[in-house]
Amino acid sequence: MIYIGSAGREYAVDAAVGDTVMAAAVKNGVPGIVAECGGNCSCATCHVWVSEEFAPIVGPPNDMEEDLLDMAVSERRSTSRLACQIRITKALDGLTVEIPPEQP
Amino acid sequence: MLRQDINELLTQTGPGTPMGDLFRQYWIPALLAEELPEKDSPPVRVKLLSERMLAFRDSEGRYGLVDEFCAHRGASLWFGRNEGSGLRCAYHGWKYDVTGQCVEVPSEADNSSFCQNVKLTAYPLVRVGDVLWTYMGDPAKQPGLPEFEFAHVPPEQTYTSKRWQQCNWLQAFEGGIDSSHVTFLHSGGLKNDPLFKGAKGNEYNMKDTKPFFEVADSEGGLFVGARRNAEEGSYYWRITPWVMPAFTMVPPRGDHPVHGHFWVPIDDENCWTYSFDYHPVRPLTTAERQAMIDGHGVHSKNIPGTYRPAANMDNDYLMDREAQKRGDTYSGVAGIAMQDASLQESMGPIVDRTKERLVPADSGIIKARQKLRKAAIALRDEGVTPPGVNPAHHRVRSAAVVLPQAESFLDSCRDAVTAIPGVPQSSV
Repeated sequence: MIYIGSAGREYAVDAAVGDTVMAAAVKNGVPGIVAECGGNCSCATCHVWVSEEFAPIVGPPNDMEEDLLDMAVSERRSTSRLACQIRITKALDGLTVEIPPEQP
Repeated sequence: MLRQDINELLTQTGPGTPMGDLFRQYWIPALLAEELPEKDSPPVRVKLLSERMLAFRDSEGRYGLVDEFCAHRGASLWFGRNEGSGLRCAYHGWKYDVTGQCVEVPSEADNSSFCQNVKLTAYPLVRVGDVLWTYMGDPAKQPGLPEFEFAHVPPEQTYTSKRWQQCNWLQAFEGGIDSSHVTFLHSGGLKNDPLFKGAKGNEYNMKDTKPFFEVADSEGGLFVGARRNAEEGSYYWRITPWVMPAFTMVPPRGDHPVHGHFWVPIDDENCWTYSFDYHPVRPLTTAERQAMIDGHGVHSKNIPGTYRPAANMDNDYLMDREAQKRGDTYSGVAGIAMQDASLQESMGPIVDRTKERLVPADSGIIKARQKLRKAAIALRDEGVTPPGVNPAHHRVRSAAVVLPQAESFLDSCRDAVTAIPGVPQSSV
């Protein structure tokens, strides 16, 4: 999968099926995903914008994630998700996400 | 964290603010009944939602809550004379009844109708239980009176106190739905407080410092469930109801009276904490009532003649480092109420939530903020009546139960979290 940093730099990463988009970034040293709470869906510091073509496959945020996106992130878009709540599947091969310039 | 714009939305409750309008949909505590004990009692200054008012009882014993200031030239009516079925300004003798209607302007000619056109802003003030409640919103939308159980059980079964808290209402309220601090901050109270100690549940509380939180919607707000390990195969659940906007209950302990709070904004940097204790099916014992008066449990020892706690920010809450070291109290501050208030006030008048770091144990707080925000916006944009306005939503209770691990806390506890007259609380 591919992470696009806020300065436009792309990070291509081999992510394992079953990992989360957050964990794959942290394991591969992708900057900009802070993940303060360690994947517990409570801090909103792993916010990403999912690319348009993958957004329908990734699906909508869950209930608690929805609250955090509403109240914590600086620029919520229709494709906003918390990376810790997206689990990698085969269908997400080639997934591209954009990392916002700031995490809460 | 919380975005700054949302922090402002949730913490500002003055006239015309979205959150202020939300609070003005509900009956809220204005003062204790003991503050106006008899007809023609001295008037009491009341500031709520950043509005300055005066509460009084006229010669017939009727309650009134009116603008504090005379319509003439703005002198405070607190200096006035409460006499002859009205409150008379001490400056030039203008007189008002409990509805705020001006009934006499002595300088005018006897046959003048001048005073008929003068009316102070006034709100209804109604006694339910030991509390005088007011509704500061649109009279056309005035809901039915509060039906919270603490205000409806017989007087010998209930006790309510209040204390001034020097911080924004939201950070005080958030402490009321945060079970995970109990194991730390109140560990001394679980051992020693006469209104807390001795319950089996306290042992689970102390053993498991990592509660797991599950939050469920209710008609009027939320049920926040905090799960701790109990015996093999079972969990100890503490269930805290929140009825919007600011009513919370603490899960009970053994057969102790059940307690809770109402967190009422005075202005954006101060709030009233109303603390109540009641037993659903029996009178409070003399010892229990005395303990409450003495400031144990959720109550505070106040400076006589005031509702300011004797331990307050000006004396560092009478911090006792030796007691902290010995473990009599965890923080060195005595009393459960002031342990909470000291830390909530220590955050500053309005905590900067853009700098906080939330963890999964804060999920109740995240849910409550979102619910408040959505309700305030739905009211502002579409006029939607928020949850908790309907008095039927008030009939909830806290509960403390041990359940098999496989059971959902809410499915198993529907009755336990419903206030049913004559039925005791569900408590461990």
